[in-house]
Amino acid sequence: MCCWFFLRRMGPVLLLWVAVCLSGSWAVDKGNFKTCDQSAFCKRQRAMKPGESPYRALLETMELTNTRLTLQLINDNNKVRLLLELYRLQGNITRVKINELKPLKPRYEVPDVLIREPPTEPLSLLSQDENGVVLSLGAESQRVIVSARPFRLDIVEGRDVLMSLNSRGLLGFEHLRMRKDTFSYKVTSTVASVWDNIKRVFSSQADPEAENKEGTDPANPAETAKEEEEKVEDGMWEETFKTHTDSKPSGPSAVSLDFSLPGVEHVYGIPEHGDSLKLKTTDSGDPYRLYNLDVFQYELYNPMALYGSVPVMLSHNARRTMGIFWLNAAETWVDISSNTAGKTVFGKMLDYVQGSSETPQTDVRWISESGIIDVFLMLGPTPRDVFSQYASLTGTQAFPPLASLGYHQCRWNYNDQEDVRSVDAGFDEHDIPYDFIWLDIEHTDGKRYFTWDPHKFASPKEMLQGLQDKKRKMVAIVDPHIKVDTNYKIHNEIRSRGFYVKNKDGGDYEGWCWPGSAGYPDFTRPDMRAWWASQFAYDQYEGTMENLYTWNDMNEPSVFNGPEVTMHKDAMHESWEHRDVHNLYGLYVHRATAEGLIERSGGVERPFVLTRAFFAGSQRYGAVWTGDNAAEWDHLKISIPMCLSLGLVGISFCGADVGGFFKSPSTELLVRWYQTGAYQPFFRAHAHLDTPRREPWLFGPENTALIREVIRQRYTFLPYWYQLFYLAYQTGEPVMRPLWVEYPQDPATFALDDEFLLGRDLLVHPVTEEGARGVTAYLPGKHEVWFDIHTFQKHNGGQNLYIPVTMSSIPVFQRGGSIIPRKLRVRRSSTCMEHDPYTLYVALDNRRTAEGELYIDDGHTFNYEKKELMHRKFSFANGVLSSVDLEPNAQFTTKSWVERIIILGASKPSMVTLKTADGENQLEFDFDASMSVLTIRKPGMNAGADWTVTLQ
Amino acid sequence: MRFHIITAAFLWAAFVESRKIRGISSSYKRFYRERKSFLCIDGSKIIPFEQVNDDYCDCADGSDEPGTSACPRGRFYCTNLGFRPHYIPSSRVNDGICDCCDASDEYNSHARCQNTCWNLGQKERAYVEGQMKTLDEGLRLKQQLIEEGVLLWREKQAQLRELQRAAEDLQIKLEEHRKRKHEADRLKEQTLKALKAGDRDVRPESSSCGFRHQNSTVSHLFQLLDSNKDGSISLDEVKAKVVLVHDETRVLSEDEALTLLGGGHQMDLSKFQNTLWDVLTRGDGYKIKDAHSAPGGLMSEDPHLKAADRAAEWEAADLKKVEEAYETVNMEISDLQKKLEIDYGTDWEYLFLNGQCYKLKVYEYMYTLCPFNTVSQKSTAGTEVSLGLWGMWAGPAKNRYSQMVYENGEPCWQGGSRTTSVTLTCGTETGLRSVKEPSKCQYIMDFETPVACQPVLKQRGVHSEL
Repeated sequence: MCCWFFLRRMGPVLLLWVAVCLSGSWAVDKGNFKTCDQSAFCKRQRAMKPGESPYRALLETMELTNTRLTLQLINDNNKVRLLLELYRLQGNITRVKINELKPLKPRYEVPDVLIREPPTEPLSLLSQDENGVVLSLGAESQRVIVSARPFRLDIVEGRDVLMSLNSRGLLGFEHLRMRKDTFSYKVTSTVASVWDNIKRVFSSQADPEAENKEGTDPANPAETAKEEEEKVEDGMWEETFKTHTDSKPSGPSAVSLDFSLPGVEHVYGIPEHGDSLKLKTTDSGDPYRLYNLDVFQYELYNPMALYGSVPVMLSHNARRTMGIFWLNAAETWVDISSNTAGKTVFGKMLDYVQGSSETPQTDVRWISESGIIDVFLMLGPTPRDVFSQYASLTGTQAFPPLASLGYHQCRWNYNDQEDVRSVDAGFDEHDIPYDFIWLDIEHTDGKRYFTWDPHKFASPKEMLQGLQDKKRKMVAIVDPHIKVDTNYKIHNEIRSRGFYVKNKDGGDYEGWCWPGSAGYPDFTRPDMRAWWASQFAYDQYEGTMENLYTWNDMNEPSVFNGPEVTMHKDAMHESWEHRDVHNLYGLYVHRATAEGLIERSGGVERPFVLTRAFFAGSQRYGAVWTGDNAAEWDHLKISIPMCLSLGLVGISFCGADVGGFFKSPSTELLVRWYQTGAYQPFFRAHAHLDTPRREPWLFGPENTALIREVIRQRYTFLPYWYQLFYLAYQTGEPVMRPLWVEYPQDPATFALDDEFLLGRDLLVHPVTEEGARGVTAYLPGKHEVWFDIHTFQKHNGGQNLYIPVTMSSIPVFQRGGSIIPRKLRVRRSSTCMEHDPYTLYVALDNRRTAEGELYIDDGHTFNYEKKELMHRKFSFANGVLSSVDLEPNAQFTTKSWVERIIILGASKPSMVTLKTADGENQLEFDFDASMSVLTIRKPGMNAGADWTVTLQ
Repeated sequence: MRFHIITAAFLWAAFVESRKIRGISSSYKRFYRERKSFLCIDGSKIIPFEQVNDDYCDCADGSDEPGTSACPRGRFYCTNLGFRPHYIPSSRVNDGICDCCDASDEYNSHARCQNTCWNLGQKERAYVEGQMKTLDEGLRLKQQLIEEGVLLWREKQAQLRELQRAAEDLQIKLEEHRKRKHEADRLKEQTLKALKAGDRDVRPESSSCGFRHQNSTVSHLFQLLDSNKDGSISLDEVKAKVVLVHDETRVLSEDEALTLLGGGHQMDLSKFQNTLWDVLTRGDGYKIKDAHSAPGGLMSEDPHLKAADRAAEWEAADLKKVEEAYETVNMEISDLQKKLEIDYGTDWEYLFLNGQCYKLKVYEYMYTLCPFNTVSQKSTAGTEVSLGLWGMWAGPAKNRYSQMVYENGEPCWQGGSRTTSVTLTCGTETGLRSVKEPSKCQYIMDFETPVACQPVLKQRGVHSEL
């Protein structure tokens, strides 16, 4: 939740707030957050226009080993030298790293995001002359061309240029320097500038000679220092935004680079933004910003930064999907422009007819405030390839406990134990399943995390045991800001161990957050994280037991009185400025917490931790939600592209607050939100403290029934969700995915973000319009068929289908050719359904075949890593449905059996025979001729058995 | 056709005895008589009897699986010998959680359920007994309160009538007094006129009010001030004889006296007539010391006028008293009427609550409920916040008096104002039992009182299947 509630508690600010209220402005106060123009480095870098790059590759410095190529670059304007490193990584990835050759002090290189040093593949030199070198990238006739003057990189496959770097000459690298207004500098700089001027006159008259001289004279830092003469601009050494001054002790240090993507019209990713799935061009406004911020009441359809950042962009066209991973944790801005963006469809057609069309091209430019350029070019070519390439770098989605895929009931706040008990009882009374009930900040003793309010939550274990008795669980919030209070153990320990982030003067950094004055533990330190993790032990965190899990909010970090509601950039994390690590802070908090939950169980149990802030790699630690949204139809709509964008960059476990956090939803909106949320990965209802109660049974019996029905639908699909998460954990494929991922050659799918796929087999088009009478869903795939999961009606793919809807409708389709296992016996919680039997939904395609999988394990431990799991493959062909083991080496037994097989698009058999190791028997069946649905009654075999069912 | 099937099924049923079917009550046994086939209770389908409770859902109404979790809409009957029998949703059969106290729902699960029916039954019986006692006691108290309520109602009605009578009396009195005052005023005026007539030669254009501009009194007043009789008024003489109307005790300052004398130190008669006399007779700033009013003081010497004046004064004072009394009585009447307009239940049993306040401390707040008036919350810090003013009864149609709503309390942050909903429950004592704030600014109170006891509750008891 955001700082708003806090503000309203502060007297002086109160009046201001009232004023804002009266002025009728509800949404975000944009003035609290920087535009590119207000962020000095962004303004400086963006002022640089495309043109010839001042950078030149010094080919004679090239060194090529088996694993990498290094090469010096020189900026002809200031003679500063850079070091380019180029790696060919396994799995069709090229890594380009650019740093200063000899920086005044080390520049920050992001640690802990890559899961390992990426394994390389050999590079080989194809050709070389004075203009550049050509290297082979191994497979598929891929080459990288390094041009010397000006410096640029082109990645080429066959005759096609896949991607070019610095082709627009926007490589920028602000080298570290001494501050000029110090006395000693002034003396030398005066001398130097005289010398420099003389030289300049000389060199402009005799350029080739100067170049020769450069060529023969290897990098000389002293000379470099003398050569430079750059004007000092505002904001290089100090920058003020509103009342906050950033002291910038290291001066300017920005890096930027442009990428051209010929043939590309669609780019995606770089979450988190409240914007469409397909990224827009930014020529007429600000670039997309990546800077983790606690934005109060965020607005939609703009490029403003939000709570998390993943600097990964995907490009896609009908022939190829690629990705750019810009590994930099500082404030980052991304500009996108396109040569076709402004053109109408007609205009494009005209170009085509006249043959005058230039190739469509998207140009991208990344700008970061500090650190180095370290970029991974993931060259696809398929969407799945890009997912696995990115997964090979940053890891895959943590495999969550099965229960966390159920329904979560949250509110700021459930007031006391009695409140928790009565909400829990409400679910039983109304026969609605749920797995987790959540406690927000009010459960603590005065916002001291790891504690309980002594009156309202006097016996937390009793409460937790009460939930445990119903096989349900709880999440309690633990935020990273720590109340400065010498009577608070956590604070005292962090202070005495020196674990707090320091301010620029070396003292403990303090800011305002929920508890008032608060310190911020330095989660970038491994020793701090280890200590934090240890605090989750059952004997440390009193009143907890194994069914209590954790929620990390405010970990951008949120600092109510800080610049842009976050930490000062000149705060210190040991030797690094906050500026360098900002976007990583949330990931580290999330990581330390998840590790704490693992440790408390002795490494046995899977953790469940929800985070608001995130970075590349956060998928390894748990779930993410889209922060403090609002009870508005647009916020319901945006939940789809926001989660799709996260899924594309590895973070599959995503959800939005069902119902909307701020404000109060109409009943219609609430019901529609449940219907949407039930088909998104993380399914949690949440509400602001000031809104009326909205537990599912508070809106009359009809709406209770609608909500009950959709939550139950969610539970029937849990086997499928679980299997998709296992797949995401194994491969990095998103659970919730845009249509183009599965239909990459169908341009009609490229910009769709009002519908989505779960895995390959479920197509969901939620109703997100108020008063909707119908929706138009695009059913992809010319040769596909799709079955309505409710009516079993069959529809052909490759068409826009109008679907009339009522309040009970949730348009969801199962792909013909798929087999989805479901559990139709919905119980109080997912854990209660553990041993229940399966119903297999076999949807036949036009060739009358289908395939599917079933994954089962214990649902909550890491034992699946020891192959205690069951993974089966179902296939239907030639009238025979069979189940075979995909993991013969794995070991797991289940009590679950197959109670029913429903075959959609079937014809009537005369006989159905089951064959197992125990023999053969005939099965009863029922055939609905109007819908061509065959229901096979109670085959009864164990879900882990090998079997065939034959239709004759 | 369906009718025939059903009839046939019933006839058949008469012959066949049923074996033990899990999950049904005795009243449903007739549907499960063992035979070749089973008719779903909704009549939708006939299935082989072996398929009853075979852990596969055949009937849309779930009737074929009363004892398993197979049907989504099914229900399972807990016999709960020794306690209350009841139905649970089928989804709770064999889910590892003990729902029936006789453990019958977990016949095939890991859950180790104890039969707790006897204990529960004991507890329930004790509880019900307690409830019955409470109810009996509550109803007895309620009867008393009803009687008291009726009395109170009558008393209030009598009080109202009395007040209304008093008001009528007062109104008559009021008329009388108004007349009398009018008479006295007239008399006084007449006397004054007569007096004025005697002075006519000096200042014929005297005003109609009769209190100003009488020439004889000019010289008279002048002489009164001119203590040393030197034909002019001095500063000292002014200070000695003139005071402020609103502060008679204070001696005038030099400056004030000087101003009265028109800036000079002396003042002769002709100047006096044009200046100071006017000031003194106007009577709104200054006056002669010890005089009731300048003209009055002068005329007080006339015995007729004096008498008339006193009479008028008395009458005015009397009228004022009567007017005040009338107003007070009317106010009381309207208060009482307002009180009596409120719905206090069919027997005025809730009437006694009006005028009472009940307090309860919850965490750091003290809550006060004054039924039919206000609800408030006071924090330990001491600020008191209104949580609502009496709004209305808000119980469901069949039990209107089970809930009260108090509205329009102090405004809230997100718009709207604080409201409180009070649920009344049966108890032997009257008092506030709990306060909750489930959402911001929406309070829920439990209020216990004998008058909320309903005789219908008495019907409830322990049923157990034996």
